[in-house]
Amino acid sequence: MDFAGLLTDAGRELFAPTTAAFALAAIGLNFHFGLTGLLNMGQAGFMLLGMYGYAITVREIEQHDGQLFGITMAAGATVAIGFLVAIVLAVLFGLLLGWPTLKLRGDYLAIVTIAAAEMVRFLGRSQSFKDLTGGSTGIRGKDFKGPFESLSPFPDRQVTIGPFTMHGSVSTSWWLVVVSWSVVALAALLFWRLSRSPWGRVLKGVREDEDAVRSLGKNVYGYKMQALVLGGVIGALGGVLWSFGNAVAPDSMGRPTTFWIWTLLLLGGAATVFGPILGSALFWTALVIVKGLAAMFIPTDWLAPTQLEPFSLMLVGVTLMLLVIFRPQGILGDRRELAINDR
Amino acid sequence: MKAALDTRAVVRAGVILVVVALAVTLYSTFIGGAGSDSSRAISAAGATTSTITTTAINEAPNTPLIQAGVNTDVATATAPGPAPATSENNRLAQNIVNGITFGLLLALASVGLSLIYGTTGLSNFAHGEQVSFGAVLTYFLATSDKVSLPLIPLKFTIGLPLIVAAIAAVLISGGTGWLQNKFLWSPLRRKHVGVVQQMIVSIGLSLALVNLLQWWMGGGKLRLSTSIDTRHHWGPIDISNQTIISMVISIACLLGVSWFLLYTRLGRATRAVSDNPSLAAASGIKVDSIVRLVWILATSLAAVGGILLALYEQATSFDAGARVLLLMFAAVTLGGLGQPFGALVGSLVIGVVVEVSTLWLPPDLKFATALGILIVVLLFRPQGILGRSERVG
Amino acid sequence: MTAKEDPFAHVNATPGAAKVDPIIVAHGVHRTFGGLTAVDVEHLEVQRNAITALIGPNGAGKSTFFNLLTGFDKPQKGEWFFNGESLQSHSPAKVARAGMVRTFQLTKALSRMTVIENMRLGAAGQGGEAFFTALVPPLWRAKEALITIKAEELLDRFKLLDKQNDFAGELSGGQRKLLEMARALMSDPEIVMLDEPMAGVNPALTESLLEHIVELREQGVTVLFVEHDMHMVRRISNWVVVMAEGKIIAEGPPETVMQNTAVQDAYLGAHHDTDLSEDLS
Repeated sequence: MDFAGLLTDAGRELFAPTTAAFALAAIGLNFHFGLTGLLNMGQAGFMLLGMYGYAITVREIEQHDGQLFGITMAAGATVAIGFLVAIVLAVLFGLLLGWPTLKLRGDYLAIVTIAAAEMVRFLGRSQSFKDLTGGSTGIRGKDFKGPFESLSPFPDRQVTIGPFTMHGSVSTSWWLVVVSWSVVALAALLFWRLSRSPWGRVLKGVREDEDAVRSLGKNVYGYKMQALVLGGVIGALGGVLWSFGNAVAPDSMGRPTTFWIWTLLLLGGAATVFGPILGSALFWTALVIVKGLAAMFIPTDWLAPTQLEPFSLMLVGVTLMLLVIFRPQGILGDRRELAINDR
Repeated sequence: MKAALDTRAVVRAGVILVVVALAVTLYSTFIGGAGSDSSRAISAAGATTSTITTTAINEAPNTPLIQAGVNTDVATATAPGPAPATSENNRLAQNIVNGITFGLLLALASVGLSLIYGTTGLSNFAHGEQVSFGAVLTYFLATSDKVSLPLIPLKFTIGLPLIVAAIAAVLISGGTGWLQNKFLWSPLRRKHVGVVQQMIVSIGLSLALVNLLQWWMGGGKLRLSTSIDTRHHWGPIDISNQTIISMVISIACLLGVSWFLLYTRLGRATRAVSDNPSLAAASGIKVDSIVRLVWILATSLAAVGGILLALYEQATSFDAGARVLLLMFAAVTLGGLGQPFGALVGSLVIGVVVEVSTLWLPPDLKFATALGILIVVLLFRPQGILGRSERVG
Repeated sequence: MTAKEDPFAHVNATPGAAKVDPIIVAHGVHRTFGGLTAVDVEHLEVQRNAITALIGPNGAGKSTFFNLLTGFDKPQKGEWFFNGESLQSHSPAKVARAGMVRTFQLTKALSRMTVIENMRLGAAGQGGEAFFTALVPPLWRAKEALITIKAEELLDRFKLLDKQNDFAGELSGGQRKLLEMARALMSDPEIVMLDEPMAGVNPALTESLLEHIVELREQGVTVLFVEHDMHMVRRISNWVVVMAEGKIIAEGPPETVMQNTAVQDAYLGAHHDTDLSEDLS
């Protein structure tokens, strides 16, 4: 691999749909943790539910010749219904999760959300639900990507723009790049608007001290629930977009995925508008660069190609530790408004 | 607000439990004996253990599923670990025995986790890796296969006898506990870094360690002992030599720890700090020394647990501990955070429930059962069986 | 209210005495922790538009009673009324919205928000605090401007105006106390419940705080505060309620209530005037 190739790969990561999907998941987490101080350690669970909701719905429609309740659906309608189901599932999951747990203290919420997300994963990959969710192999792309791809205005072949070549419409495609980053932009706008509103102000107060906010007449539990559901829905959307570039695979949405989202949120700067986006871009690009440099400079005796992945992820873990200890506000955050507090 | 919290939480837990139970019942009625069929099939293949391996954590960062060398299908082990059940009537007894065995191993790892939480307030997400490390290190020291160290292009064999390797691994693990406390956790506590922040640090540590282990040892299964195991039939129960030895060792360790905690001055001080650190400090107990001791003890016990777990499951891997981390949290929460005896009780309950649930639920869902318990406990009685309610909400 | 029309002129100095125009009426409030009875108040009425002090030795149950009244704790039994409206099953937020706002002994200034944002948070009736309304700024901008004007007025009154854009965490302890008090006034409460307002406050600031509290009464706000500082109690309170071991043992004007033997016993111990030398021989 040469440097030019490495730079191209790194550049590609910067705007890749996966980067966008994770930025979206991180924006969702930003509503949870950055704004409200909720320790949601189950964001991957929201992503997975979103994916399942979309893919299963679209697959069912496709398998019935594009008919839903006897009505023939155009591709656009199918996609819309799929997204709607994904959103509804995320809302229900958030409500179910939040209803009993939002009264618990921080680290308890962390454990419950991890457990809940892992349960979603276990149930999804279980042989018992194989017909619905595809078990551990998940749902293949061709079962659910069709309608979305057919909406693409890009040509149905490889398209080269600048140094980057991607397919116009299929799987990881220019179309997906455009759509996913548009959604990210909307989500960032939403975060900007809401964090500067009175609603956002109440959440920031909740992050600081719930009892103080109660003493001022605000229904703290309701606000936390709203933040949980909103952030979860955004995470679910990230999951759907991620699945468009990959597939629906339960084991890709496990605990490590949630931890990466946390890493990239804290890297960019929690409670900031651009933090999640910057964090995601840096995270994935750095991963590619580290793997590339390691492959180039470390002899394969010392570091075999199969070891590149764990090696670079190990560095991710170390980065998270260093970030939290030395620069919890990340790159864009304000130290005075540190998202992590000493509770 | 505690009185109101309890009744409302109980009602909510009840509703959720009823809804979930209904859903599961309806599902199993219609989708039917699929669950018990597959469990019987799996038992017949002599690989009840493999259900633990099927729920391995496969990380695929940016690309679709990478099977990191761990079988997601039913593995065919040469000599099965926990014995498969033979007939319906015996299944309950067998499952209970399996459950107790697994629970004892879980207890070894969980007691340390509970003590760390009690004495320092840290929910240590890296504890799973301590379990994996003990087992993986033992493999490294004992195996006759060629092994190497990360970044060093030398392959070699150490090939110590298993017992020696195991003891060395436990000692080294205890050393890592001392190191962690000295260079990471103690400085963080002195800088008054909050427990939430420390928890996230432990998450980063967990990520770093699990990948380091994968880097070091690869993603495949590592066999600690290749000898064929002899099975004994005691009435309705099948039990192997290795299982008996594991049970004996774990009971001995747990008895040792219990004796220490109950009858020695240091142990009583440890319990005091774990129960109420500020009160203990005010009574003149040297909390820093106790915490150091707790870290050494916790990591050593985790290593023992990891090694015995590896023997129980016939193999270990880089993520063996990561897979049981949530079960450990479930056990510790059930028993009461900071209560070491609670962790013991909780582990046994979790172990038995997990194994017995296979009578009704498909085996690849058995961890989900434990997670369900965890969630329910946190709603109904967050302080667990033995804990105090001030710690909670 | 002027000094002439003393609403306490004809009130009995007995525990549970009826008041002329009570804003709070509490009855049969009972709170136990395990086997310990923390609060056992048979009857209490708090006079409107006056400053009432709630005092007592440590462990008397004052803070617990305070928490019960403001909804931060639930009793085993009891009822209490605020302006005739029953409050006993209300959440703390609902109590605050009803017009009863409290402060905390350990000041809860929201450190990572600015002073002015702290103040704006205290306001009631900002529709923009609802999710959907927040998405449409024109719906809440006008109200926000009004809230900001009011916040600035209050900050000016409490001499914090020039700090409005500082983070609350950057203020000194005393300034944070003032902020919390100012913030509590944003929603125009009828009664302000102060939990040990003088705790940890340096003497220089005490004067200023006392003046602010008297000013509150002048503006028609009722004040109920828990305190240990007897100077403060004597200086500004119109009426004193004394608790010990969960019960109200005395009520009365500040000048005379301390002479009450039951009160002295509670503070100093039952045999405080016995000659110890008798025991030593």
